Amino acid sequence: MANASGIIFSSLNKNTLSRLTANRTVAAIPFACRYRLIDFCLSNLVNSGIYDISIVANYNYRSLYEHIGSGKDWDLARRSGGVNLISPYQTINDPSSAKMFSTRLEALRSISEFLREMKNDHVVLMDSDTVLNVDLGAIIDEHKASGAVITVVTKETDESFSSKNPRMMIKTSDGYISDIAMSDKFDSDHRELSLGIFILDKLTLLRIVEDATAHNNVSLTEFLMRSCKSNRYATYKYNGYCAVISSFLDYYKYSIELATSRAAREALFEIKDRPILTKVHNSSPKLFKGEANIVRSILADESSIEGSVINSVIFRGVKIGRGSVVRNSVLFHGTYVGESCSLDSIVTDKNVFIGDRTKLSGCHSLPFYIEKGRRV
Amino acid sequence: MNCKKEIIAMLLAGGQGSRLYELTEKIAKPAVSFGGKYKIIDFPLSNCCNSGIDTVGVLTQYEPKLLNEYVCNGAPWDLDRKRGGLYILPPYQGRGGSEWYRGTANAIYQNIDFIKSFSPKYVLILSGDHIYRMDYRKMLESHKRSSAACTVATITVPMSDAQRFGICNINELGEIYEFEEKPKNPKSDQASMGIYIFNTDILIEYLETDDDDEHSSNDFGKNIIPNLLNNGEKLNSYRFEGYWKDVGTISSLWEANMDLLSDDPPLDLSSSELRIYSNNNSMPPQYHGEGSRVSNSLISEGSVINGLVDHSVLSCGVIVEKGAEIYDSVIMENVRIGQGAKIYSSIIDSDSVIMENAVIGVKGEACNEITVIGSGKTVNQ
Repeated sequence: MANASGIIFSSLNKNTLSRLTANRTVAAIPFACRYRLIDFCLSNLVNSGIYDISIVANYNYRSLYEHIGSGKDWDLARRSGGVNLISPYQTINDPSSAKMFSTRLEALRSISEFLREMKNDHVVLMDSDTVLNVDLGAIIDEHKASGAVITVVTKETDESFSSKNPRMMIKTSDGYISDIAMSDKFDSDHRELSLGIFILDKLTLLRIVEDATAHNNVSLTEFLMRSCKSNRYATYKYNGYCAVISSFLDYYKYSIELATSRAAREALFEIKDRPILTKVHNSSPKLFKGEANIVRSILADESSIEGSVINSVIFRGVKIGRGSVVRNSVLFHGTYVGESCSLDSIVTDKNVFIGDRTKLSGCHSLPFYIEKGRRV
Repeated sequence: MNCKKEIIAMLLAGGQGSRLYELTEKIAKPAVSFGGKYKIIDFPLSNCCNSGIDTVGVLTQYEPKLLNEYVCNGAPWDLDRKRGGLYILPPYQGRGGSEWYRGTANAIYQNIDFIKSFSPKYVLILSGDHIYRMDYRKMLESHKRSSAACTVATITVPMSDAQRFGICNINELGEIYEFEEKPKNPKSDQASMGIYIFNTDILIEYLETDDDDEHSSNDFGKNIIPNLLNNGEKLNSYRFEGYWKDVGTISSLWEANMDLLSDDPPLDLSSSELRIYSNNNSMPPQYHGEGSRVSNSLISEGSVINGLVDHSVLSCGVIVEKGAEIYDSVIMENVRIGQGAKIYSSIIDSDSVIMENAVIGVKGEACNEITVIGSGKTVNQ
């Protein structure tokens, strides 16, 4: 068991997943039929023996709290440690004290008392918008062996990289970080993309929070940029599968990739002893009525399918009526598709109702989104 | 000291289920898989959960490993309680010696102290080999109204089948005046479901008397119920309307699975009323590849389908490779069906591997003979 604690951040910045995050925080975004993004963070931590986890969220966290519950589905309902949800709060003497955290640093500062009381020596900081199945234990071991102050998990990028928002891009020399830049496209100098996973020891974390505050740094990124040249910050180059979801289009692209790419499914779901855990809903098996034509698609259980499903991601309890054809689409929990419908490149949010003989279509670079509970 | 309960349930789960042959070679009957994601014991446990019964003793004896593992602390059925909850009750060694449970009545007799510790007014006796969805509260209401010593749940069976059951002959007040175990000439179509509600004091009294009788086979149907009647105790009947199936044989287990696939299934597992809960693992979503052709089937999470599945029930983690064809079959957890293999009217138990191009079962209208492949077997051509 790793002597470490985990801290997960969810939607600290206003980001461009606006449609998916209208009602929910980033960590609670449904992904891959039966999961939410937080499941990948929590599973990576518990699969590495880290059972003391805090989740920091600013707003729209109802669905996240509901999903986590006591944490028992991740073995996180513990007497000591377990899962702990942190959000901004007011103090009685100063009602204006409840400020939203806009950066990781602000969040960490507001919980510094809690950080001081943490029993473990090491801390893993994680963002919730990166989907991967990684052995954090190995990274922590490497961090300890390297003697670095902080280790950032990165992925090497190539010319094909682009992002809707600027992301933290890192330049290393002799194995240590020599420069950091924010960029939304490939930068031949700063080739390593930060995956938002940072490993450091508890005392260093406390020192960073103090130091950054003293220097008026507003964010962890700013602090690292300022201090990287005079400190030994290392990177751990992860070369496995990962999906960095920084926009709605990313979300759509990676969702469909899971349906169509065997390699992606294997890298996330078929690693021995590292299962991705989620809240168990006791769904009944999926019922296929008549002759259903299902090709290159992943489906969660419950409810029934009578039509065709091609290159799609179908969540729990989705019903698809006779003669309907669903292509290149992502249908969230409880979506109802009537008879003889045709859907192409659609993302439906929860409990969308699509009446008989409806034809809807987006395109691959501009999927059409239908908001929660909408009737079409 | 436990809290006082109005009613507790005692679930008889120690049976071998010898008529399920290979399927119960290593597991007790209640641990046999059903309907893709369930085990038989999910049904009585979920019924308890949905009926507000929070204290259940599960009596185990035959091959209990998997069953113990599966019911664990009762959490999937909301039975992980501080006051009450789920208790596994295996046979034990006492000062007077140790003995196995000799029959259904003896199993309860050996746990009288467990029952007494909750001082319940009523005890519900259940068995772990039936598929049904029932609100026991309604039965309890009927029992209270009748002010009887015991209430027996009954179900209407076709007169032609009545010889196979314990038949209750019932008067117009709903009282049972005669009970016949497998009668040659049945007088009624009301069969006992093996579900009883007893007043606790009566139950204990009759179990103790029964234990003193060395000729008794210590069975509820054969001894306890007839003794109640012989002594003039009032026996009430509660008529259950709904789907109920004894899955004690290969063919009835297969049929009950196929019943889930009918157009208007008599037991709808996806219904939110009296939901059936099970101890699920987190498995990835099911995947359908290029060659997937599925019709009239139930398929569960973790499965990978690249072949043809028609009129079949597939559990979690089943792999169907390219060109494989499955018809009218029940495939349990983590079975792999190799390329080009053909399966007809079969039950394939968990972790088995069916190699390439193997053929299992007989093609055609062969419902009279179900082929069974036991757990963990490898079948070559």
